[in-house]
Amino acid sequence: MTDLHSVLLDEDKCEGCTNCVKNCPTDAIRVHQGQAIIKDEKCIDCGECVRSCQHHAKQISTDGLDKIGDYKHPIVLVAPSFYGQFTTDIDPVKIVIAFKQLGFEEVWDVALGAEALTRKTAQYLKDNEGPIISSSCPTVVRLIKLLYPELLDYLAPFKSPVQLVAQRAKERAIKEKGFAEEEVGVFFITPCPAKMTTVNNPLGLEKSYVDGAIAVDKIYRKLLKKVKNMDVSMDYEEYETPYLGISWGKRGGEADLLSSENTISVTGIHNVTSILDELDRGDLPSIKYFELVSCEPGCVGGVLNVKNPFVAQFNIENLVEDHGKFIEQSLDDYDFELDKEFTPNTVAPLDDDFASAMAKLTELEEEIDELPGLDCAACGAPDCRTLAEDIINGLANRTDCIFILRQQLAELTDEMSSLAHSLPPIIQDEGD
Amino acid sequence: MGSNADSKEIINAEVEAGDFSSGGEISSKLKDLLRKLGTSSKLIRKIAIITYELEMNIIIHSEGGSLAAEVNPGRIDIIARDEGPGIEDVDKAFKPGYSTASESVREMGFGAGMGLCNIKNYADNLEVESELGVGTTIRASIDLK
Ligand code: SF4
Repeated sequence: MTDLHSVLLDEDKCEGCTNCVKNCPTDAIRVHQGQAIIKDEKCIDCGECVRSCQHHAKQISTDGLDKIGDYKHPIVLVAPSFYGQFTTDIDPVKIVIAFKQLGFEEVWDVALGAEALTRKTAQYLKDNEGPIISSSCPTVVRLIKLLYPELLDYLAPFKSPVQLVAQRAKERAIKEKGFAEEEVGVFFITPCPAKMTTVNNPLGLEKSYVDGAIAVDKIYRKLLKKVKNMDVSMDYEEYETPYLGISWGKRGGEADLLSSENTISVTGIHNVTSILDELDRGDLPSIKYFELVSCEPGCVGGVLNVKNPFVAQFNIENLVEDHGKFIEQSLDDYDFELDKEFTPNTVAPLDDDFASAMAKLTELEEEIDELPGLDCAACGAPDCRTLAEDIINGLANRTDCIFILRQQLAELTDEMSSLAHSLPPIIQDEGD
Repeated sequence: MGSNADSKEIINAEVEAGDFSSGGEISSKLKDLLRKLGTSSKLIRKIAIITYELEMNIIIHSEGGSLAAEVNPGRIDIIARDEGPGIEDVDKAFKPGYSTASESVREMGFGAGMGLCNIKNYADNLEVESELGVGTTIRASIDLK
């Protein structure tokens, strides 16, 4: 793994099947000599490969709870979707207390930032014609950077709820509590690899306000034990649950809160890709706001969660029911502005020179015609087109295709046998 | 402005009337090819929108046809051919009024949503030849500035 991504491969477990290759939405994976390889420049950290690997060879590198010991003042940020991991008889305040018992000095809800961002976005929608695409899901932002650079201008130019809350909590600990910057460690309990990646590789920011990310599935058991054994009468003074913000954890939560017409909520990376295709070709003039989330149905579907995504969605719906008000807070407590624009991250053309690129394109089409067109992925590329592209780029051979290989072997065998039969009779006699 | 020795076709595909499930496939494929050629994303977007309009025109309103893309020196042409029904009054079909009044445009055998007028907004040059009962050929050119 590099700083760029958090999905990595356990080489002992990888059997060299091509399930992940075929499910990757950006064609970022190839199998070579029995091992999957992820191309860094194309991976958007969606986690589809983790989902599709039956051998559990794809792993996600996150931090352990022990890392909080590196900081004098560790702060934890709880994702909205995290509440979906518990049944509704467990009051959110218990989860907050349990985090404190695990060693965190402060517990912050990302949902609080989600509520603030909702209000900010509602203002922005009034002043802008749209279309506007939510920039809260890092995978969606990376997907647009890679495959839809022409849509980058539509991304809402704001920090994500995680970064908003991280910045607020961190600056407050420094200013109001007098900690030095290096003494404050902000940790996010992450449902997905994409948000893990933003710790080292944030989007639109010079540096991330989050210092570490702990996977939900790494902390869940410890937390559950504490929550289950907790005295029900315990209370926690300053805590107010941001119920509305928590609804961001499931599909529609974000868009519904905007209470604006012409919003759409699309979840699941392949659905997101197809809606972006439509937007790209100018086919959706009447939709103004796009809530797009890589996981289905929303962040509750993140691969690092423990509960079935739809059960988690159900839990959140039950939890937030009957709560109709935002937490009182000032938008001035947050710094929404990004440090820099979202920039394209497109794959290089076949050649920088147009004429040479044209020539290579012809070569590519010819190569595609040579291949059988079965898209079986046995060669390690997701389909014949992609293999052809790899061949043109010098990254693969035509004989990586098992059908071509078999055909060439058959030809070779024919040649050999005809060669054998053409031996002079005298040698044949001696051989007997 | 026909094809010449310097022009190269990078796509040529049949489009079936009423085949909504394939709608958009050609414009997606063309987008991918143009990206491989290093075309800027602004131009790609324009071309994708034009191609999609033309593609849907054939699917919704014609009796089937084909769509091609040609790279020429300094420009890219998208050529849509269909086998009818043809447009009665081409000039009329260009009028902005018809851009949104899709019903009337449809009656003339045109207009997936925004139709000819929309294509004209994105293309640097547009040629339409049509004969009622025979078919229509549209060539939309985009300059590679
Ligand atoms: S995380 Fe997503 S984009 Fe990255 S390799 Fe896996 S499937 Fe492909």
